[in-house]
Amino acid sequence: MRKTRLTALLAVFLLALASLVVAGCGDSDDDTTASGGSGSGGGEALTVGSDIPYPPFEQGKEGNYTGFDVELLEAVGKAIGRDVEFQDTSFDTIFLDLARGNFDVVASAATITDEREKTVDFTNPYYISEQAILVKEGSDIDSVEKLSGATIGVQQGTTGQEFVEEEVGTDPRKYPQGPDAVSALQNGTVDAVVIDIPVAENAVNASEGLETSTAIPTEEEYGFAVAQGESELLEELNEGLEQVIGDGTYATIYKKWFKRDPPKEIETATHEAT
Amino acid sequence: MQEFINQFFDVGFMVDHFDEVLEGFWVTIQLSVLSGILALIWGLILATLRQLPGKGFMPVRAVTIAYIDVFRGIPLLILILIIAGGVPALEFLPESLRLPQWFGKPDNFWFGVLAITITYGAYMAEVYRSGIESVPGGQMEAARSLGMSHGQAMRNVILPQAVRKVIAPLLNDFVALTKDTTLVSVIALSEVTQVANDIQSETFNSSALVLGALLFLAVTLPLARLIDKLIAREQGRFTRGAPRVEAL
Repeated sequence: MRKTRLTALLAVFLLALASLVVAGCGDSDDDTTASGGSGSGGGEALTVGSDIPYPPFEQGKEGNYTGFDVELLEAVGKAIGRDVEFQDTSFDTIFLDLARGNFDVVASAATITDEREKTVDFTNPYYISEQAILVKEGSDIDSVEKLSGATIGVQQGTTGQEFVEEEVGTDPRKYPQGPDAVSALQNGTVDAVVIDIPVAENAVNASEGLETSTAIPTEEEYGFAVAQGESELLEELNEGLEQVIGDGTYATIYKKWFKRDPPKEIETATHEAT
Repeated sequence: MQEFINQFFDVGFMVDHFDEVLEGFWVTIQLSVLSGILALIWGLILATLRQLPGKGFMPVRAVTIAYIDVFRGIPLLILILIIAGGVPALEFLPESLRLPQWFGKPDNFWFGVLAITITYGAYMAEVYRSGIESVPGGQMEAARSLGMSHGQAMRNVILPQAVRKVIAPLLNDFVALTKDTTLVSVIALSEVTQVANDIQSETFNSSALVLGALLFLAVTLPLARLIDKLIAREQGRFTRGAPRVEAL
């Protein structure tokens, strides 16, 4: 009697597990096939990987994402006739995931670097950036030199981390997300945070007691990334970007998120995919 | 297939980054051993407090039971984040407690030790309790009838027997503890997970993480076999003939 009841329970459990697995498989298949095609379909949605939040580039709740990257890519998408669907993912594996086909595009305040170029291809730059040193108001860390000896926080896998490791020469505290590093600064666990200027300025505006002490001109450019070999998609994105810059949409979005006019360089900034 | 091996099992890559990953693993070991010892001691204290007899000690027992329930009931990761985010912000604490830098180890190391000890102390308290309750009641009766107080009976008769019975489950919890130290990577401690993950995001190769996993196996596998041996030996004490658990 007991044996048959046990086997019945086990069978129900396995059935439930199996149906979950099938449902899960079904969903992910849909994702990759819908967007993996060679781009000739009009209106097929592009899945976009992004590390959210990273204000003011990407922020908000699922279904309601917003930010400079989000609005800009949506505008580019409109110009080339494609919908975009943003998906939250973690930054430190984002390029690997893109290369594996988890998304079509990465739009995540990603700096174009040689190292990353080995795995993915970048569009022309859509943002010209600098890093900033974010500190508590009244801190005496006001230059790159003063950074040595201080405890510095960065986001893992970012060019901010690279800068501290190579130019300052110390090991920073690497946090999974940008806002984590800012929290650590606020409660005193780190003395300074090296992070993209807009993110730093956003933190200064959003909370009390912080200031950006120095801009570090690192001459970084952000690009949208696609998997290597997706040259058609890359061309489409570049065309869409050019159009959006040319017709003034870019300037409108830029002014909304950064409260100033975009630099002239963005109109001519190009990038050769290797 | 070759790509799979290159991505996860690139031996040359592992050799190149071995020192780095090992340095991170050393932090993991320090964290595990320190938290483990503290948790073993704290768990024993909790278990003893829980067993204090008499109406007078009811509040002590109640508080201890509440502590054990709460800290077995909340995830260690949440506790780590709460401690690391909250303690430095407590203005009334002196700096040396808010941002401990004791013995050259950074504050996130000590926050990790604190969180792990608090949580695993609760788990181990329950293990000790099962050991204490499995000691036959006659032992306590005999000890008391010989004139020992409750405390003396516990210390000299019950606890030695109880602890010997639960060495294997305690070691089991210790193995779980060593793996849970990886959670401390979220507060930016440079233990093996963070170091290996960093290497992965810089180089796009996952072999450093696999190397980290192998280092863990080098520690957990011998412990697992030791636990099997202990279980077999413990069972051998009370059964005649062949032991019920095969020790390899």
